[in-house]
Amino acid sequence: MSKTPAVDIVQASQASITAILNKIESVVLGKPKECRLALACLLAQGHLLIEDLPGMGKTTLAHVLATTLGLSYQRTQFTNDLLPADVVGFSIFDNETNRFELHKGPIFNQVVLADEINRASPKTQSALLEAMAEQQVSIDGITHELPMPFFVIATQNPLFHAGTYPLPESQLDRFMMRLSLGFPDLKAEKQILLNTSQRTNQTSADSKGNSKADNEAVVAEAELIVMQDAVTQVSVSNDVLEYIIALSHVSRRAYNGHISPVNNTDEIASEISCKPLSPRASKALLQAAKAMAFIDNRDYVLPDDVQAVFYVVCQHRLEMQPNRQLDASQLESSSVARQILNSVDVLNPLGY
Amino acid sequence: MILFNNKTKKVSAGTVGSVNRHTNSKAKSNFYLSRKNAWLLWLCQCLNISVIALELSTWMLAIIALSLAWQALLLHQGRDTDNNRSKNKTATGHTHRNNSRQDHQHSYRQSIGQNTRKKKQQATNVSPIVLGIFALLGCVAIVITAKQVGILASMLHLLCFSYALKGFELRSRSDFYQLQLLGLFVLAASLIFRQDLAFSLITFALLVLNLAVLLQFFSFEKAFVTNIKVVIVLLGQSAILAIVLFLVFPRLSPFWQVPLAKSAETGLSDTVKLGDIANLTRSTKLAFRADFGQQKIPNYSQLYWRAMVLEEYDGRQWSRQHKSTRNKIAVAAKNFSFDNSATEISPLSYQVIVEPSFQKYLFALAPAVVTGDAKGIQAQADHTFNNSKIISQAKSYRLTSYLTAPLTLELTKQSRQLNLSYPQGSNPRLEQLALQLQHNYVDVQARAQAVLNIINKENYSYTLQPPLLDNNSLDQFFFDTQAGFCVHYASVFTFVMRASGIPARMVTGYLGGEYNGVTNTGDNTGQLANKGHLSIYQYDAHAWSEIWVEGKGWLRVDPTSAVDPERVNSGWSTQLLQQQSELNNDLFSLYRMKNIAWLNALRLQFDALDYQWTRWVIGFTSKQQYDLFKNWFGKMVSWKLALIIAVSLVISMSMLMLFLHLLNRSKTKPQSLTKWQILYQKSMAKLAKQGMDKPPSMTVNDFAKEVRQQCPELAIAFTRLSVSYNRLCYQMLSTNEQEKLTLSMQQQYQHFIQVLKK
Repeated sequence: MSKTPAVDIVQASQASITAILNKIESVVLGKPKECRLALACLLAQGHLLIEDLPGMGKTTLAHVLATTLGLSYQRTQFTNDLLPADVVGFSIFDNETNRFELHKGPIFNQVVLADEINRASPKTQSALLEAMAEQQVSIDGITHELPMPFFVIATQNPLFHAGTYPLPESQLDRFMMRLSLGFPDLKAEKQILLNTSQRTNQTSADSKGNSKADNEAVVAEAELIVMQDAVTQVSVSNDVLEYIIALSHVSRRAYNGHISPVNNTDEIASEISCKPLSPRASKALLQAAKAMAFIDNRDYVLPDDVQAVFYVVCQHRLEMQPNRQLDASQLESSSVARQILNSVDVLNPLGY
Repeated sequence: MILFNNKTKKVSAGTVGSVNRHTNSKAKSNFYLSRKNAWLLWLCQCLNISVIALELSTWMLAIIALSLAWQALLLHQGRDTDNNRSKNKTATGHTHRNNSRQDHQHSYRQSIGQNTRKKKQQATNVSPIVLGIFALLGCVAIVITAKQVGILASMLHLLCFSYALKGFELRSRSDFYQLQLLGLFVLAASLIFRQDLAFSLITFALLVLNLAVLLQFFSFEKAFVTNIKVVIVLLGQSAILAIVLFLVFPRLSPFWQVPLAKSAETGLSDTVKLGDIANLTRSTKLAFRADFGQQKIPNYSQLYWRAMVLEEYDGRQWSRQHKSTRNKIAVAAKNFSFDNSATEISPLSYQVIVEPSFQKYLFALAPAVVTGDAKGIQAQADHTFNNSKIISQAKSYRLTSYLTAPLTLELTKQSRQLNLSYPQGSNPRLEQLALQLQHNYVDVQARAQAVLNIINKENYSYTLQPPLLDNNSLDQFFFDTQAGFCVHYASVFTFVMRASGIPARMVTGYLGGEYNGVTNTGDNTGQLANKGHLSIYQYDAHAWSEIWVEGKGWLRVDPTSAVDPERVNSGWSTQLLQQQSELNNDLFSLYRMKNIAWLNALRLQFDALDYQWTRWVIGFTSKQQYDLFKNWFGKMVSWKLALIIAVSLVISMSMLMLFLHLLNRSKTKPQSLTKWQILYQKSMAKLAKQGMDKPPSMTVNDFAKEVRQQCPELAIAFTRLSVSYNRLCYQMLSTNEQEKLTLSMQQQYQHFIQVLKK
């Protein structure tokens, strides 16, 4: 497609994007940045992992995302006795028709909220794998396509909580972003306390899948697909591509020659000990950056967009020891992702 | 859980680095060498010392070995503490986990930092007082022994001693540099003693290793092999400059004379006892080489390389004339030279390249005259040549020989007397034999032949292991043991001749030589064009006799030919070689080498290479340099020389720079900076002068924000500039739009400059 439609769509979508953001922010209070990132993730057709302590509004965010975008939505509470069939569905023999009939599991919704995903056994976790990567599931050897805009929004508790199974790297890699909401600030918390009665009402209503006036979709499904298309058309200049490449290369450098991590005089870069970023990771990074640019009403990506999403996209892929950290906002300054960002020159990325 | 633990370890190992960096930037004194680097450095030290080890005294070597071993021990202990450290760390890491993050990190770092520092000190630092005392003692020992071993050796001791001790106090980076420099110095010093190709190659390899260790200290690259590659590439690049410098840099005579070691004399000595040369022949070291150019190389049996004429015999040993008498003769024959105008024999011109022997004598096929540069070479009346200085470096000279021409035809009275004298009654049985011969054979040459016949007929044997003789008695050898080496036969022969009234003298030198090169005709002497040289080794050392025959002058008689003709005609017999290899007990002895064809070929190839090396690199003296210039630029004047040096240096430097520039250019971005990039860079530079630096990882927008905060007056202008830059850089624009935007950005830049000036 030519460039002009992309620009037009960007312009045209701004109203709805503002509307969506307003909606989300009215529910998830005091977290505009996280809201934008979450939206960007969905626009970039990536899956979202929200990690935080219980009671921080993970589910609320996931919920409001699904409803505002007008998608079919089902929540599954993951527990350690949850079986794969409980997620993807199963075939059962129907006496009347004398045929096996497929009982679709919750995964056949457009938005699947996998609540507390790390409480489920690895077997169940990996059942999500095929669905997330290929957008299809196999039940009894038959492959079923999943509905078109398909998101998995998963929430998880930090790893050191009791009874958690860490997500394997392969599965972490399939989540485009890992968000952490963090504690609300004073003002926001006050607001939350004031709204208590109303909020509980709403959530109870939500969980039944009810569509109250508040939870009405802001955009139609078709509009969402158009926006997703537009995101892929956001133009990326060579410089930004190189920037992304440079970032992933820095993460790989330590991996390629990792004989002794202790080498005092080396520059910061070589001391970053992390897992290397896969090409899928850099692809996700690019896609997320595009979505950020789209939300910012631009049809081209700036390094700023890359920086904005780098932490959430890459931190969970980089960490040697996942979930060591308690609080994202305090930690971001010292994280591996930040170190990598610091070691790459924005204006001349490959010149390190 | 195991997996988890592993991870913690890895992470903690990672933090060690950052901790170190942290402390490093804070306090310079806390210098840290990674374990691998420390070991490499240690290895380097060992190898550097080992190169020069032969020149050091045993006690010094022992001290150095001790200190190096100690260092290795400390390094080893260091590893244990390293392990402890990481264990400690994980423990602390767990306990601190519940603290708030910042606090946790802080205390964590601190504890580790202290931990490391303590351990480190304990591990690698010997108390400076102990070290100082040790160093002082060592210096005293060096001073005490200085008289015995000579200045050069004691200087060397000092150098190596400091090199070994410096390893104990690697506290700061400058210590590391010093150690590296000392290492290079040790390497250079080792070249004083040996310069042959093999040794130079070893030294070069060690140089590469040393530099690679230095590079390893700085590079990101963790694989040592890649660093070695880098160093080799770097050295290759600098080779251009080195070659130019080698060719054009004036060969200044050294500002100081390198004091020479006393004991390093090799080769023949001034005096010869029975059995002396037999010991020498165990050595497979090179004595000298001769290059005959295109001419036919004489037969083996004619290659009597004359080194010394020994005329004095005291019953035990042969020696050159006493100083006093020699001086007299030397004065008389001050300008002695062989008169080559009288002979019609075709001259044979050749070049001799002598290995450093730390003696004065040179080699020639008598009679010979020096051609070419005769500076420092004195011809003696007995047709030997002497160098005016001790030969401490490879030296080359050209000679022209008239092989079959007679030696001196006159014999002075004094000389006749000298060559007839022998201690009366020292070998009564031989004297008796001599008298008998004198009686039987009137003709001088027949008498000589008679002695040779006796040697030939009787059961004499030629051996490298002559039985020991009481008091060097010739009688005992000739009549009882009847087994000896060339010196034995030459001594006996000379003695008998003298006793029977014929002036005779002993000559020592080398016989033969190994031909190394390609002969076109395929015949072993090289009929037409040969491209090669003769290598004469120490085991070619030989002794023979000369007798005076009236009217014919001094005639060469080699009694060895009577006992072992093969030795004289084609070199060592296999039996002798076998003997030698047994005596040497050497795995790579000459005998074995010669038996294995490919090994021998390899040896010859290497020898040829070494010859070229000695000839062109070591032998590139100021004279050669001068000749080279003369060839290139005609007659030399000093200003011209200076000009040549300056110009060639400048040209080679600029060529090198250009080369490097081109090399680096292709590696960096091929496309040049665009207009807007230049504009933005300029404005950044302007801001940097104002104290606002953009960290490389900061994006343009963020920087604009910061500028807005720091200097609000610049904000609007700079933000506009930034926005234009961003659009130009990252937005897909048509060329038309691009031009427009670039123009407006230029205006914005002007505006920005104006605002900045206010």
